[in-house]
Amino acid sequence: MLILAIDTALEACSAAVLDTAAAGDGFAGDGAAVEIDCERTLIASETLPMKRGHAEALMPLIARVMERAQTNFAALDRIAVTVGPGSFTGLRVGIAAARGLALAAARPAVGITTLAALAAPLAAEGGPDPIVAAIDARHGQVYFQVLGGNGTTLIRPRIGPIEEATRAARFGTPRLIGNAAPLLAAAWPAQAPAPLDIDPRPAPDIAWVAWLGAATRTDQDSARPLYLRPPDARPAAGAALPRR
Amino acid sequence: MLVLGIETTCDETAAAVVERGDDGEGRILANVVRSQIAEHAAFGGVVPEIAARAHVELLDGLIAAAMDEAGVEFAGLSGIAAAAGPGLIGGVIVGLTTAKAIALVHGLPLVAVNHLEAHALTPRLTGPLEFPYCLFLVSGGHTQIVAVCGVGDYVRLGTTVDDAVGEAFDKVAKLMGLAYPGGPQVERMAAMGDAMRFAFPRPMAGRKDANFSLSGLKTAVRQEAERIAPLSDADVADLCASFQAAVIDSVADRLDVGLAQFKARFGAPAALVAAGGVAANAALRAALQAVAARAQTGLILPPPALCTDNGAMIAWAGAERLALGLTDALDTAPRARWRLDETPPPAPLHNTRARF
Repeated sequence: MLILAIDTALEACSAAVLDTAAAGDGFAGDGAAVEIDCERTLIASETLPMKRGHAEALMPLIARVMERAQTNFAALDRIAVTVGPGSFTGLRVGIAAARGLALAAARPAVGITTLAALAAPLAAEGGPDPIVAAIDARHGQVYFQVLGGNGTTLIRPRIGPIEEATRAARFGTPRLIGNAAPLLAAAWPAQAPAPLDIDPRPAPDIAWVAWLGAATRTDQDSARPLYLRPPDARPAAGAALPRR
Repeated sequence: MLVLGIETTCDETAAAVVERGDDGEGRILANVVRSQIAEHAAFGGVVPEIAARAHVELLDGLIAAAMDEAGVEFAGLSGIAAAAGPGLIGGVIVGLTTAKAIALVHGLPLVAVNHLEAHALTPRLTGPLEFPYCLFLVSGGHTQIVAVCGVGDYVRLGTTVDDAVGEAFDKVAKLMGLAYPGGPQVERMAAMGDAMRFAFPRPMAGRKDANFSLSGLKTAVRQEAERIAPLSDADVADLCASFQAAVIDSVADRLDVGLAQFKARFGAPAALVAAGGVAANAALRAALQAVAARAQTGLILPPPALCTDNGAMIAWAGAERLALGLTDALDTAPRARWRLDETPPPAPLHNTRARF
């Protein structure tokens, strides 16, 4: 299966082409369970650290990656994209690109959450310890998801205060990943054992976006934003004058 | 040539396919618009984040519908045009990025269109019209008098120093408690009211420049309405009628000045053209007839569906630019602000009331 993966939801602008067949027999249709050198299976990839400017940088980057992969859009089986949680603007750049490419090439687009992509390499390692993927949502809040050591979800993706995320301590001594990992570690309950690992990576590894994309069903309309936070808007009130 | 046009700068998600003949004749093959009025109604105005969220959900489906209706394959297009601004940046990003994606897959040229330029070139889509002509762009976001001298060659003769005309209509509607979107409601109430009951100022009347100012008038309406509140239905109708009359008098005066400036700089205009959502206002349309007659030029009012935001005007502007070999790279930036020309915006007035 040939997959183009895209991620612009956090502090990177990334794209990669993955050929699952080239990866050998390790692929069983369940990306999280694959035990392989994920990075090496990509035909081409490029990741630029980026806080802003994804809208300008992404399409030339995709063009370069496709060129290096020596493939074309018609040869792709699907397009995978991170759908958030993350920067509202950033995730829309990726989704608009993926859905535009999908429409133009008549190929399916699938969505991967940033939290699942962050947690995937830890889940692939296995082990008994839980995983907390956490992304800074500002204003003292984090987007987070808690997974068991094997990748099963214990707490679905949600937004909440940092203290709420640290309650994951009840599941055991976790591994923390994502740009909010240091925030959680700093707020970790004193009576609980300290986290095993704190990986503050600012964005998911594009290879895991591609692998999870390979394992996602295409019959569901999944390339849709996962904001987890409502738009900042209040209904108009009190402006109108009294009427007789 | 066949061009796909994408518009996402405000609260309409739109896609269209337009054909431009070698003789410059335009033909609309499909023009699909999905307005987000329902999404924003509860907020009494366009909420940028809500608009952006709607665009990203709706756009690919609308493009597919437009292509279907036009009976065209992507590979059969000559180029992809998208409004790259000015407008709400969240929506612009969605439209421009989608356009880049389609252009990349099919190796087609991208045209990053200025939304204002698309309004300006619309009359050449609906019929033959030579340059130069005078555009009056009047909407919720823009109020400009522009000399359209050629594709990419624009001179702004006048603009608003504060609120846009449509914005003033919407704010008055909100004050009166009229339903969203308020502009058409004000027009409806005004038709039943007495425009002579309240003597509102005619902003900027008599000034030598061709600029507009609406915020003082809006304040005058609010003060008068507060004075007589609670308002009866007749009060609301009379306030709306008196407000609309003041706007139209002011607009007519500003356009008289603008058209005189046009003549002095560029010769007689081929026509006066109105565009933008407020150009659908019947009372304003009638007033524009008189303005055009005074300036001894013709008036062109594109059909309302091409006056408000739409994809056909973006596709057409894209086709006009493409015909001149003007294309844009895949790293083109979306722009929240993008003036039609380099004329600096007028400074805000410090004593607006003294000028009424």
